[in-house]
Amino acid sequence: MSERFEQGVAALRRLMDARIVSYFSSCVHCGLCAEACLFYTETGDPKYTPIYKLEPMRKMWRQENTFWGKLGVKLGLTEPLAEQDLADWETLVYDSCTLCGRCSMVCPVGNDIAYMIRKEREGMVAAGYAPDGMKEATRRALEIGSPMGVTLKTLRATLKGVERNTGLAIPVDAQGAEYMTLFSSMEVVNFPEYIESIARIFAAAGVSWTISSEAFEATNSGIQIGDSKAAGELVGRVVSAAEKLGVQYVISPECGHAFTAIRWEGANLIGRPLPFKVIHILELLEQLREEGRLKLEGHTDIRLTFHDPCQIVRRGGVVEQPRQLLREVATEFVEMRDHGVMNWCCGGGGGVSANERAEPLRLQAFQRKKKQLDELGVETMVTACANCRIILEEGIEHYGMDVQVTGLTELLAEHLAGPAES
Amino acid sequence: MFLDFVEGPLWYAAAAVFLVGVAWRLAAIARAGLKEDLSVPRTAGAPGAVATVFRRFLPHREFMRPAAFQMVAGYAFHIGLFVLVLFAAPHVEFIEQRILGFGWTPAPHWVFLLAANFAFAGLLLLWLRRMLDPVLRRISTLDDHIGTGLTFVVMFTGCMALFESHDFLRALHMLFVDLLLIYFPFSRLMHAFTFILSRGFTGATMARKGVSA
Amino acid sequence: MGKKSPEAAGRRRRMMYRALALMLAAVLLLPLVPYAVAYVGGITNPNPGADLWRQVRQRETPPEVRTQVRGVDTGVLINARGESWRQFRMEQLIPWSGWFLGGMLVAIALFYLLRGRIRIDKGRSGILVQRFTVNQRLAHWFMAVVFTILGLTGLVLLYGRFVLIPLLGPEGFSVTAAACKEIHNLFGPIFPLAVLLILFYFVRGNGFRGVDFKWLAKGGGLLGGHASAGHFNMGQKLWFWGTLLFGLSLVVSGLILDFPVFGQGRPVMEWAHFSHGIAAVLFIGGAFAHSYIGTLGMEGALEAMTHGTVDANWAKEHHDLWYAQMEAEGKVGAVPGQEAPASSGSPETAGG
Ligand code: HEM
Ligand code: HEM
Ligand code: SF4
Ligand code: SF4
Repeated sequence: MSERFEQGVAALRRLMDARIVSYFSSCVHCGLCAEACLFYTETGDPKYTPIYKLEPMRKMWRQENTFWGKLGVKLGLTEPLAEQDLADWETLVYDSCTLCGRCSMVCPVGNDIAYMIRKEREGMVAAGYAPDGMKEATRRALEIGSPMGVTLKTLRATLKGVERNTGLAIPVDAQGAEYMTLFSSMEVVNFPEYIESIARIFAAAGVSWTISSEAFEATNSGIQIGDSKAAGELVGRVVSAAEKLGVQYVISPECGHAFTAIRWEGANLIGRPLPFKVIHILELLEQLREEGRLKLEGHTDIRLTFHDPCQIVRRGGVVEQPRQLLREVATEFVEMRDHGVMNWCCGGGGGVSANERAEPLRLQAFQRKKKQLDELGVETMVTACANCRIILEEGIEHYGMDVQVTGLTELLAEHLAGPAES
Repeated sequence: MFLDFVEGPLWYAAAAVFLVGVAWRLAAIARAGLKEDLSVPRTAGAPGAVATVFRRFLPHREFMRPAAFQMVAGYAFHIGLFVLVLFAAPHVEFIEQRILGFGWTPAPHWVFLLAANFAFAGLLLLWLRRMLDPVLRRISTLDDHIGTGLTFVVMFTGCMALFESHDFLRALHMLFVDLLLIYFPFSRLMHAFTFILSRGFTGATMARKGVSA
Repeated sequence: MGKKSPEAAGRRRRMMYRALALMLAAVLLLPLVPYAVAYVGGITNPNPGADLWRQVRQRETPPEVRTQVRGVDTGVLINARGESWRQFRMEQLIPWSGWFLGGMLVAIALFYLLRGRIRIDKGRSGILVQRFTVNQRLAHWFMAVVFTILGLTGLVLLYGRFVLIPLLGPEGFSVTAAACKEIHNLFGPIFPLAVLLILFYFVRGNGFRGVDFKWLAKGGGLLGGHASAGHFNMGQKLWFWGTLLFGLSLVVSGLILDFPVFGQGRPVMEWAHFSHGIAAVLFIGGAFAHSYIGTLGMEGALEAMTHGTVDANWAKEHHDLWYAQMEAEGKVGAVPGQEAPASSGSPETAGG
């Protein structure tokens, strides 16, 4: 038994909390979770059944927490968890799960399967079984500060462009600002429109905000790969930057897992309550609108729909805000058949987008979104996650569809009332 | 003789294994512990836990169709079984005389018949599907089949002994009841208890996030 | 497939209903023929009984019987037909049906010895074709299990006295019979559900077409030469419709017997009893043949009902028209999730 494997086993043992023990004890092997998972529905392959992705962890539970398992292992009748199991399950655990949590909504005994897979990944990583793409992303995040290798220099270059386009000064390291914003690398590199949009909106609404030059990256590869130490380190950077600037709020950007990472796991990762409040950009925008600080005018009459980013909506609880905001500026907003907390994932969450090997499967899984869109026949899709957006655009291109994808914040900025729009 | 044994010593032993076993399993879950969640909740966890325990009795509206078979067959079986176990006349009598000391009005014969039909049809359909559906075949274990099989045999022998005409038939039924009780705590039949905890945990976590799960 | 005009479809549907009604009447009534024969035969011997006796037995004119007891048949003092019913059951139904079922087994054994297992001539191609969905297979095995339980317990009731008393002794038989009676009565009402499921999931593709009669003329290919067939061949179609009709006959007669609360009198019960017994025996005989050809009799057939798939070569040899259609639709070999997992979970006890 290799030492790494031992570490993996130790991690799984450590993570076997009351929830997971209860979940495994409850599972009646009804198979319903399969019907909830896009990797199963779009391939028809039973190995993509969510609970089946937990075989390694289930073996662990069986041999350590159950009578038959203990007895069987003692008598040599039951195979204990072996390194080969982890090797065999690597693709199931990483390539075919986006941690979207849809399965967790349908299990009749109430198992939070996505939570279990998230924990199982801790054991996989500890034992060294994780996709290279994700390992690399995590390494870059730790060493460079961004999974995509975005440096402060890159950010400054982007910000310069933003300042040029908006004519606004972008506050960096402004001591005592109320809000500190984070961005995902994807936004810095691919969607600077997002940064421009919030700059305009914040200027119009009079929000006191800043960017920290020490911690501007919102994404957290540690969460995706399942490395709590790395995840804690990344959250820690944000926390110390926020403490230094003395902000009251940290704004999580249009990025799904970034929100989960800091809003729901952040405090647990650093082992103490966060010294600031975390607010998602959509929550903030809706709040500003309600307070009358965000004034919108005009509307688009194009038929459009909203793609719910799993981590923001189902796993993040920001369900109604995007809909409220969207109705303000769009007259023809229609919902997909399964939406809100029962939405279908784009197929690229949970680190799958950083895992090149998973691309063919991911594109196959995208057929679910394609069916949803074909059913509606819309040509514009709004979303609120840079990662979803890239994945959606790739899928749309792959299937030769005629659909435009845009970010909600951007759409709102286009309808900003008043002089900010030049 | 046989009847005396399965209704006497074996019954006491089985009941003891069942009670101690279930308690031990539940304690094991508690023992595994749960770290305090330090994130700031949107809404309190406890009411969410209770709500989800009840809400999961029905699938989400969006999931009605995929869950239709399991729901129909599952409820036919479980409700049927529930009525059989608690309201069949011989059971009420047994509970009154051997367990609680008091009883209640048993169900009339036709209710019993209906319940048995639903229970058998539901269990058979569920079990056959376990053997036929590729997903279920992939995830099912020997334990699933033993648990289902024992339940089936208990119901089957119970119906054989329906009119209590022969002690042998009653003893046969009782024997399998004892075996089922002994097997119960070591099997996934435990879901009958732990589903409350599982739903509760998930309900609480999701309620903290502001999502009704 | 071309669209049919609504009128033609309606006419066909009406014709089908009529044919169904006729066949139903036939299966419900046919079993009565031997009974009628026995009955008529039973009363030809002259009875020297007195008038009174004749009155009491109500052989000819039913007298005005008055009684305080209200209920079905309470006006009948002695049910004369009961005797011939008993006689028929003991002297005709039981031995004849025994010969029939035994003969069926012998015929199957002979067929096996002569023809052997029908193999896939070209061997397995390794390419799979999806033949039945999970729901179809579920309906089938539900029917098979419920049918087997009812058939076995029913046969115990029918032959138990003769076969089981010598084996188990009177006490042992008494227990067995009591148990079987309860199980039979309890599973009875589940049977209609099985019939409905079969109807719902198998009716498609079981309509009769021209090729089916050619298939029949060629003896299903057993007489030499190839017999073309679609998704189902004539043998299967007959078995499907037979399942429905015998099933319905058993359901109607069975429910009459099981629930004597709807005012049905003894004559009706007797009629139902015979109908039930005879239909059951014929049905069981059919099931023998069906089970044989589904397992031992034909290589590659069983997996259609267990895994839902068949080998392409099997399909070509037995259901060429269906295979051609599947091929045209690009459905040959397109079976998801067939490859084995990297390391499949072995059977194990997984509980706590
Ligand atoms: C709706 C379904 C059915 C019901 C309600 C039903 C009910 C009954 C009842 C009440 C009896 C009389 C039992 C007695 O003598 O105490 C009986 C006898 C019997 N049943 Fe069924 N039955 C059903 C289906 C079947 C099927 C599917 C089979 C076989 C394939 C079957 C085979 C028999 C046989 C062989 C007997 C014995 C007949 C005799 O003793 O003369 N039954 N059934
Ligand atoms: C217990 C042993 C049985 C076995 C091994 C068996 C096997 C099979 C197989 C292999 C098929 C598929 C044939 C094909 O590929 O087209 C089939 C079809 C079918 N079986 Fe069975 N069967 C059994 C019992 C029964 C019983 C008891 C019934 C009904 C009373 C039944 C009713 C049917 C029907 C309706 C079909 C649909 C195909 C057709 O129209 O023939 N089976 N069975
Ligand atoms: S839905 Fe829940 S109970 Fe059913 S198999 Fe999946 S995890 Fe197990
Ligand atoms: S979390 Fe989403 S992707 Fe992962 S198993 Fe569940 S449904 Fe499938």
